[in-house]
Amino acid sequence: MQALLSFDRAPPFAAPLRFFITAPLFALLAGVLLLVEGPGVLASRWTPAALAATHLITVGFMLHVMLGALVQILPVVAGANVARPLLVATVVHGGLVLGTLALVAGFLAAAPGFFLAAAAVLAGTALVFLASAGTALFGVPTTSPTIGGLKLAFIALAVVVGLGVTLVLALALGWSLPLVDLVDLHAGWGLGAWAGILLASLAYVVVPMFQLTPGYPARPSWWFPWALFAVLVLWSLAVAGAAPLLVRAAEALAALAGMAFAAFTLNLQRQRRRARADATYRLWQVGLASMLLALAMLLAVALHPEFAEWRGWTPLFGILVAVGGYMSLILGMLYKIVPFLSWLHLQNLGKGRVPAPNMSKILSESAAMRQTASHVVALAGLVAAAVAPAWFARPAGLALVVASGWLFANFGLAYWRFRRHAREMACLAQP
Amino acid sequence: MIHPKSDRVIDARYLEPPEPFVKTMEALDTIPAGGKLLLLLFREPHPLYRVLDQNGYRHETEQVADGTFEILIWRA
Repeated sequence: MQALLSFDRAPPFAAPLRFFITAPLFALLAGVLLLVEGPGVLASRWTPAALAATHLITVGFMLHVMLGALVQILPVVAGANVARPLLVATVVHGGLVLGTLALVAGFLAAAPGFFLAAAAVLAGTALVFLASAGTALFGVPTTSPTIGGLKLAFIALAVVVGLGVTLVLALALGWSLPLVDLVDLHAGWGLGAWAGILLASLAYVVVPMFQLTPGYPARPSWWFPWALFAVLVLWSLAVAGAAPLLVRAAEALAALAGMAFAAFTLNLQRQRRRARADATYRLWQVGLASMLLALAMLLAVALHPEFAEWRGWTPLFGILVAVGGYMSLILGMLYKIVPFLSWLHLQNLGKGRVPAPNMSKILSESAAMRQTASHVVALAGLVAAAVAPAWFARPAGLALVVASGWLFANFGLAYWRFRRHAREMACLAQP
Repeated sequence: MIHPKSDRVIDARYLEPPEPFVKTMEALDTIPAGGKLLLLLFREPHPLYRVLDQNGYRHETEQVADGTFEILIWRA
């Protein structure tokens, strides 16, 4: 029965891989923007260049990888099979590429036409994703904390996109809306609820699986996504009702919940049964430590709001959450997922007659480690740039260009090697 | 390993993919008629469930306090 290691309904490899190859290019563009614009990108969260760079990382890189990976892993982690996965992946990938470019062009050129195009394309893309992947996910029973968390994350994604599209339309059409509050809600639901709950739900599976750690205890795993979601709802009501004390209380609760999760996961990593510290392990250490720092900043500002008056607070917080936190954690997962998927698809191509090459032949550990080092250098540069933009903004931009270009090369080469092995194996496996 | 649910246990909690899948498949080939196999993992193995269904096996899964999923497998 061993030949049955075919995940019969797993989508074709091309479905997720296209996302993983193009996502680094958006992070690279964020680096180019920082290199060209310099300190102005970090001057305030409201400058066009800051908004463009933020969305190149959060939509261009993060959302890109998240949606691409979900099409692939929903069958594996939830038993939820997305119908026509290659078609869904093609539409969502094309929509994200075009929508992100239009959005960034809208910010940089302050052009209503680009904003309207971005709103239409990104809203349509999210609808296609939520309709197809959401139908698959909500069609399976909630038998694990992962499935329960994913369902909440999908609801949060709908909220993030709804708020984002509203904001873009308001900018394009000059609607008078409380923009600052809406931007806060959009960012909170994006980075806190959607990305945070998605990450925790997947961590339950991938941390023990990839790093050979103990599992997350059952009871807290079930309630953590609900607790985070409830805090975000409370916080939103407080923002909408202009209740500053409640806003601060909810921010403190969210920070404490996130810190507990990050600290618990770091402790799980400490108990791992794999002696070697590979790229995934290092990237998760960096990611969780960066999240802890960012959440400590959030807690500090909830207790002492005057801290947020420091000019560098928002850039530093955003860099620690998005680049230090989510980007590192995502990279850590990709460095396991890409070689494993390549191996799995090659194994199936061999039809049990020709063995697949070792995973390290597709993407070596040393290549992953070197790119990880460049990512950490870029992160250090960005943190320095948030503190002293005049000195470090351009060097940090250059470091981000190098790290993202390197990532693109790693995944591009992995795909090229996969294609070469696939051709060889298809010939050998002919009966 | 002795477990109240079955005397044939595969503890795959600290094994890297695809080892848990391969070990389970190998063990199923050797299980006597009427016998049961217990697989321990820190996740629900959905791809394995599909293969089990297709090959005439039934399974029952329970998550215990430490986060372990206990998957009891037998031939229908």
